[in-house]
Amino acid sequence: MRNSIALAIFAAVLSVSAPVRAAQSWGLPGEEIVRFDAKVVDVLCELTGNCSANCGGGKRQLGLLKDDGTLILPIKNRIPFAGAVEELIDFCARRVTADGLMVTNRGYTIFALQFVRAAPNGKWRGATRFQSKWAARNGVAADSATAKQWFRNDPRVKALISRQGRLGLGPAADREFLGE
Amino acid sequence: MTPIRTAILAAVTSAALAAPVGAAVSERVKITGEVIDTWCYLSEIMYAQGTAHHQCAIWCAAGGIPVGILADDGQVYMVLKFEADETSVANPAVLKIQSNRVSVAGDLFKRDGINYLLVNQVVDNEGIVNPTHDEYGIQPFGE
Repeated sequence: MRNSIALAIFAAVLSVSAPVRAAQSWGLPGEEIVRFDAKVVDVLCELTGNCSANCGGGKRQLGLLKDDGTLILPIKNRIPFAGAVEELIDFCARRVTADGLMVTNRGYTIFALQFVRAAPNGKWRGATRFQSKWAARNGVAADSATAKQWFRNDPRVKALISRQGRLGLGPAADREFLGE
Repeated sequence: MTPIRTAILAAVTSAALAAPVGAAVSERVKITGEVIDTWCYLSEIMYAQGTAHHQCAIWCAAGGIPVGILADDGQVYMVLKFEADETSVANPAVLKIQSNRVSVAGDLFKRDGINYLLVNQVVDNEGIVNPTHDEYGIQPFGE
């Protein structure tokens, strides 16, 4: 009994301290941790035959096409409020191993990418490149507080929120609602 | 082989090479519903409709998460093209209409349980008409 407890504690410690290169639960309803190989494709091209160079160069949504023909739609990465395109564009038309969460709710299955590598044995990358790319575009350090809160500091977002308000009903509605 | 048969064979072959394997058949549709952030809505990570979620919807659209239309029939349509613009990642025109109730005409592709919509035209835009903030506050941080 005592050995079993010790073994369980050891396993728990090991799981926490081991280098994390496997998807973690986010506690979402309908989530399932998955890892699979697939080819990175431009979804518009895949569906319509309307293709562009380099999978759209980051301007088009990307999909993960499995060997059995199933098209998976990755819509999230590990950065708050950011998608998966910046994580996958470097792998356009190449096979990757994707690690993350398949999430099924409301009758739809979507994918949250947490790690990716060139298949079959490339080096794992955390799906966090969005932040460093955003930081480079905006002239700040990748690990700065500004980059971590990119969604509050993005010039496009700030301009839009200042015009539309946080509720979308104009700045006066925000002031009234928030008592500012 | 006659020249005509050769030409037909060449046309069929070139068409087969151009279209990706598994390319789907589209359907012309008119969809009416709310422009939404698909991640927050489909993951159910928070309440994700109307004014309560407007700011977050802009954040997510700017972050490149696919924008969708939550139609009156409850279906979600992922927007892959918006009028003449094939940009579906942080498209500025789409950012501007988050949470708006719109009617659009477009081409629908269904693939592996997902509805993909190519919006050809915005037929009508009623603006933001789903006031949810009194009940849900401002999602997700309350400010």
